[in-house]
Amino acid sequence: MAIAADAEATLPSLLEACKRLITSDRRRVYEERGKKFAAARAQALEQARTAATYGWNASPISTARLSAELWAVIKDKDWASVGGGGGRLWNVEKHYQTLAAGGAGGLGYALPASVGAALAHRKYGRLCVSLQADGDLMYAPGVLWTAAHHRIPLLSVMHNNRAYHQEVMHIQRMSNRHQRGITNASIGTRIEDPNIDYATIARGMGVHGEGPITDPKDLGPALRRAVEVVMRGEMALVDVVTQPR
Amino acid sequence: MRFVRCILCFVTIASGCLFAAQTPEPAGSAAPNGNAQNGKKIFSSYGCYQCHGYEAQGGAGPRLAPRPIAFAALSKYVRRPTGEMPPYTTKVVSDKELADIYAFLLSVPPPPPVSSIPLLNN
Repeated sequence: MAIAADAEATLPSLLEACKRLITSDRRRVYEERGKKFAAARAQALEQARTAATYGWNASPISTARLSAELWAVIKDKDWASVGGGGGRLWNVEKHYQTLAAGGAGGLGYALPASVGAALAHRKYGRLCVSLQADGDLMYAPGVLWTAAHHRIPLLSVMHNNRAYHQEVMHIQRMSNRHQRGITNASIGTRIEDPNIDYATIARGMGVHGEGPITDPKDLGPALRRAVEVVMRGEMALVDVVTQPR
Repeated sequence: MRFVRCILCFVTIASGCLFAAQTPEPAGSAAPNGNAQNGKKIFSSYGCYQCHGYEAQGGAGPRLAPRPIAFAALSKYVRRPTGEMPPYTTKVVSDKELADIYAFLLSVPPPPPVSSIPLLNN
């Protein structure tokens, strides 16, 4: 069959062609394999739900609570993750519901990438959502204005642990490995004193801002308000102060 | 020196980590008396939360509470860890402070059941 350069346009035809080639024996094998995958998925979901109960009411807010609260407000809509994701507590069923990461753990990619991806989704009317790290946001915050200026609908929910947390742990490990002590591991890795008010930054750029949210009971209502804004065709940012991981 | 202490982080990537909160403290084991309130405070100020979460629920590092492992095992691991966690001598965390941290871990209540949380039953 002829394959066009557009993978999205070609994939349905390719799938049908593959289905025609599958013998009954292979179909049985696939079905058995599918059952194993489904069972593993169910088990993983149950484990994730149990794990989420630990620290459920904690403040700062646990990342599992954040994931579950966010899932509750998007799951019944035509949603697409354009940065981060909810892990095993989310059910990803469509190809456009995930976006590849920037690679190499670089900083400063996530916010501009999520705005760009939201622009690509806009014509389909999807609810685009991203989980935005605090350190990453500070590299190119001007893209908030870009989203406001061009009316790009995006729900940006912050995983704000007030640190370049990956670096905190890495430096601790390296300092220990080289027997340099651990005295200076927090220098340049913590983003506090003063804490950054990201909701105010967002509002200053013309974006709807909620937060900083530290009480998990406040999270659901803030997310619902933000979704209303996004469904009207604008960007909203919800600053959630979280556990480190 | 506070900074030295504030980096107390029980990091380990060992899957069989001694820290995993799995086994209740055996009856009659020698867990020293500690001040849970101070333990909670220094769990944060010393940086334990960075890997284990403010409630010791786990994160980059394993969950420590509720139902922490026996104090003797915890103490042994803190002083001479086998994973990537830096060792913390008595000069960094005194025995008394470690006892306070352990008292805090013992004070952490069990989590609510999944069935009681509507958001986890969607």
